Amino acid sequence: MKNAVIVIGLWLLASAGAAGAQIVVIVHKEVPADSLSHAQLLDFYSGEVKRWSDKTPVVIFDLKPQSDAKDLFYKFLGKSPSRMKSIWLKKLLMGEGEPPQALASEEEMVRKVAATRGAIGFISRAKIQAGVKAVLTIAGAEP
Amino acid sequence: MMRMTLPVFALSLLCGLARLHAQTAERQLNIFGYFQASLGHNKVVARPVEANSFNLQQLNLFLQRDLATTWRAFVNVEFVNTYSSFRNWGVLSLEEAWVSYHASRQFKVKLGLQVPTFNNLNEIKNRTPLLPYIIRPLIYEASLNEVIALSEFLPTRAFVQVYGFIPWRNWKLDHAVFVGDSPNINQDPRYGQTGVDTTKSFLVGGRLGFRSNVIKLGVSASFDELDLQKAELPPGISQDERESVSRIRLGGDLSLNLGRFMWESEFVRVNYDDDNPILELSRNFYYGTAGYQLSERLFAYLGYWVTLEKALPVADRDLTVRTVGLAYDFREAVSLKAQYARVRFEATKPEPLKDLADYYYLAVSVVF
Repeated sequence: MKNAVIVIGLWLLASAGAAGAQIVVIVHKEVPADSLSHAQLLDFYSGEVKRWSDKTPVVIFDLKPQSDAKDLFYKFLGKSPSRMKSIWLKKLLMGEGEPPQALASEEEMVRKVAATRGAIGFISRAKIQAGVKAVLTIAGAEP
Repeated sequence: MMRMTLPVFALSLLCGLARLHAQTAERQLNIFGYFQASLGHNKVVARPVEANSFNLQQLNLFLQRDLATTWRAFVNVEFVNTYSSFRNWGVLSLEEAWVSYHASRQFKVKLGLQVPTFNNLNEIKNRTPLLPYIIRPLIYEASLNEVIALSEFLPTRAFVQVYGFIPWRNWKLDHAVFVGDSPNINQDPRYGQTGVDTTKSFLVGGRLGFRSNVIKLGVSASFDELDLQKAELPPGISQDERESVSRIRLGGDLSLNLGRFMWESEFVRVNYDDDNPILELSRNFYYGTAGYQLSERLFAYLGYWVTLEKALPVADRDLTVRTVGLAYDFREAVSLKAQYARVRFEATKPEPLKDLADYYYLAVSVVF
């Protein structure tokens, strides 16, 4: 009984930690936007909108490994990874666009977004650094 | 003087080459594509007719290059049914060669040979990695060309298309308008250049649709003319009665994505504006597929597809397919597929016929 209480307590603590997790959508510092809506983010990540308002091409980055940040980001988009994959594959095979480059870590994501004009990506809030700007904070799974 | 000129020339050449290299790296030629190989077993239920066959159903090779930020060139070469010119197998076809201009999301233009937008599947019917099917919904299945008049049901090639979408709240309004050749294309070099339209009519059509994250629906239409001069008709019809008749294709499509559940459906109705009492022409096609994402990688579906063709007095035939299948994303670019289809064929013309056949297929689809 005592063990069960401890296990439930640990599970509740872990759940509270996950619920408190936050990720931020980051863009290159010269991107002409200070905030993004859910619809705009989905348009960029599904290849529907390919340029920023100043005509700079949008360069999207994704994370390769499964992680809390990636799970939270996809839940916020409201699309499963397999659904997004099929959207990108369709764009590729129709000659309409390329899938995003999938990066190995959040640290690499920050470096790439900081170094690429028009870039957009997502990282855990704690990983944010100078050279990029946060345009959207995502806490929890709902848009 | 000569000693000075050579280093300057070499330096200029190097600078030029470096600039050219940078440009090439920015706008490089991308070569990619996909193929689908299958193993099929088919059996006619009432007769001892049975066959097994491997087949490289489809191999498509794409060449793509960005000519400028808003301009892109794209070429699609297609090899169908284990193509080999040496063995006289299959078909090699230049399916697409176009340049696109992307002015904005509302206004994009494609110029050159292309597959026009019509309903949900026409543009992507041969993009096998995008489809869970091995045997595609009837009028989209190239291998049924000898059983169904596929080009009567669908507009197959356009040369100009204006398309895009207009965002409105949580919806997007899709639009596409295209112009191309009518399908009266010369195939006999004795009558002049092959591959060109022999009539004065054009193919004109388009699609108008709405979509959100959950639902996508649209209506499509195309207009062209059927040249009866070249149609196979019985001798009772005189040459004077063999005028061109207007052909109007009407289509509708509805797709749903509700969590793990997927639904897609279409209809195509082909009407012919002929007042010849001997002729009765009409074609109808319906399909519906319900699917469920069993896991992140595994998708299951079942479908019901029907074509009804009347080209009296020459042909009157129906084809019905009930099918179930699975598609499994084995790796990033590799999918495995399995499909079973029961096909019922019924005809009263040219001769009465009823047949029932079972088709079992396995396939691997690879993007490279």
